[in-house]
Amino acid sequence: MRVLRGFALLVLAGGLAFGENKVILKKPPKSLHKYYPPKSKNFEFLNNMYIMSTSFFGINLNINEGNWKGALEWANRLRDTYKKTSRMVPEWKKYFKPALADDLVKAVKSKNVDKVIKASKKLGQTCASCHRDNEIAVKLVYHYPSFDNLKLEDPVEFMEVKVGKYMEKMTNSLKALRIYLTQGQKDMAQEAGTNFAERVRGLRAMCSKCHTDKASEEIYMGKNLESALTKLEELLSAEKLDQKAIFSTLDRISMTCAKCHNVHLVPAMVQEALAK
Amino acid sequence: MIPLIILLAFLLAGCEKLESVFIEEDLLQRPQAKRCMDCHADIYEEWKESRHYHAWTSEQFKIESENYSKLKCLPCHAPHQVDPDKKPVLRAEFKADGVSCVACHFKEETKSMHGPLKVWSPPHPSKKDLAYVRSNFCAGCHQETFKEWRRSGTIKTCQSCHMPDLGKKDLIQKFPYYLFHLSKPRSSHRFPSLKAKPEDLRFELKDNVLYITNYRIPHNLPTADQGDPRLYIIARVYYRNGKVRTVRKLLSAQSKQVLAFREPFPLKLPKGEIEEVRVRVLRKLAWKKEKDLIGEFRIPSPSHARGGQSTQGGGPQ
Repeated sequence: MRVLRGFALLVLAGGLAFGENKVILKKPPKSLHKYYPPKSKNFEFLNNMYIMSTSFFGINLNINEGNWKGALEWANRLRDTYKKTSRMVPEWKKYFKPALADDLVKAVKSKNVDKVIKASKKLGQTCASCHRDNEIAVKLVYHYPSFDNLKLEDPVEFMEVKVGKYMEKMTNSLKALRIYLTQGQKDMAQEAGTNFAERVRGLRAMCSKCHTDKASEEIYMGKNLESALTKLEELLSAEKLDQKAIFSTLDRISMTCAKCHNVHLVPAMVQEALAK
Repeated sequence: MIPLIILLAFLLAGCEKLESVFIEEDLLQRPQAKRCMDCHADIYEEWKESRHYHAWTSEQFKIESENYSKLKCLPCHAPHQVDPDKKPVLRAEFKADGVSCVACHFKEETKSMHGPLKVWSPPHPSKKDLAYVRSNFCAGCHQETFKEWRRSGTIKTCQSCHMPDLGKKDLIQKFPYYLFHLSKPRSSHRFPSLKAKPEDLRFELKDNVLYITNYRIPHNLPTADQGDPRLYIIARVYYRNGKVRTVRKLLSAQSKQVLAFREPFPLKLPKGEIEEVRVRVLRKLAWKKEKDLIGEFRIPSPSHARGGQSTQGGGPQ
């Protein structure tokens, strides 16, 4: 149990660098880039993290079951992967202390639980220190899709534009609809509303690049959204525009906007900031 | 000399054991496409002009698959073995060959080349397999298009249009093998993408809605599984009061706005008394930057054309 508590500390140690009134994210170093798509599809660096994490637990599990031989195998695997990983990103070399990995192997060989806990803690602190400084930034940069290079064709103007520009055009047509409706300019409201609906539908071309199966398609652009867009078009083509019903339908549509933004917008903004 | 070779060949053809003497073992080890060219030069040249040849190396695919890191996309772009109705697995070797000769024709189960014809082929065993003339042969990768085709209820197969008949031709060009073969019915291995013709579309103007119908192409326009081909509709609406409005519509497989087979697509036009609508329809293939014109059409309003009656169709300009 004592060993387990020791390992638990390692898990809790990850996080951010906090300062007074601010949270600091460090840009991931350039040399990490080659271990993630699009440069590599094998996630070599991340996989080493998994191997080390599993190896830590392998030591823990086996010691708790009295299997010191098994624990030693995992300790050796941990040491080897730790040393290999320390050479992968030169900018992060300072975080690694290979001698501590050797110490953990020695501790396991000695079959002394206290020594193992002590060596684990020391080695684990090097992991935690790197995670604290870098883990969140790395996840934001490499684990979320980048919208930076994506282009979408605007279904109203038939022009390819970057995602940011597309969003601007889409929201501008939404705002124009609200403004013309409020001002009682029916024809203009109809045109702006139709353009807005077209642009919302046009987003599918972007989302479907990653959301390729039916279940995720239903989440991002399912029946609810399509029925709301159809309703909006119906309301806009009526002889007399029902402002209240249109606004209520826009609220339904905005639920999808919020859903996607909650997942993608913040990471995309952080990515953009880190790319500068 | 040639008659002697032919005579010898006939003698050998009668002896199954001797036939194995001519087997070229590497052909049964899933070779590169260029190895097939040694004998099937004409088919190879056709295939090199096809999108199947470019399936893996296409710049567009490289971008869309994020440098081949979107694993889900890869099997259809370099399939190990293409079987009816079955999504293939990714090939381990020669991925740059894309949808290659062996991907479609070599079967692990029989260790032989399959195809729609019965042939005598000393360098490799061959089997006649009628799966090659059926649409579901393409369904493993072209899943969505296959479903659309099935809904259309048409008799024509995928191969009828996208592997058009070339008449009787030699299957092989290598000496001396071509001397032993009669010409056989051949289908194009260019797998043409084809373009809709103006007469494939029909228009009907009714109550300020322009209904556009894909009347003759037995799948959606545009159609794709993951690619993003597009159809552009630009309608210039001429009103009795002299006003002109332009309505644009972008159709794409990914936005799920398409011209389904014989399902009128409603394009709502701004209110007003319409005299005529002039429509331009263009398309853009998924891997191309340029748009191609499909046709230009003039659709008079029903009342304008026939004294208040409904107008069907709408002829190309």
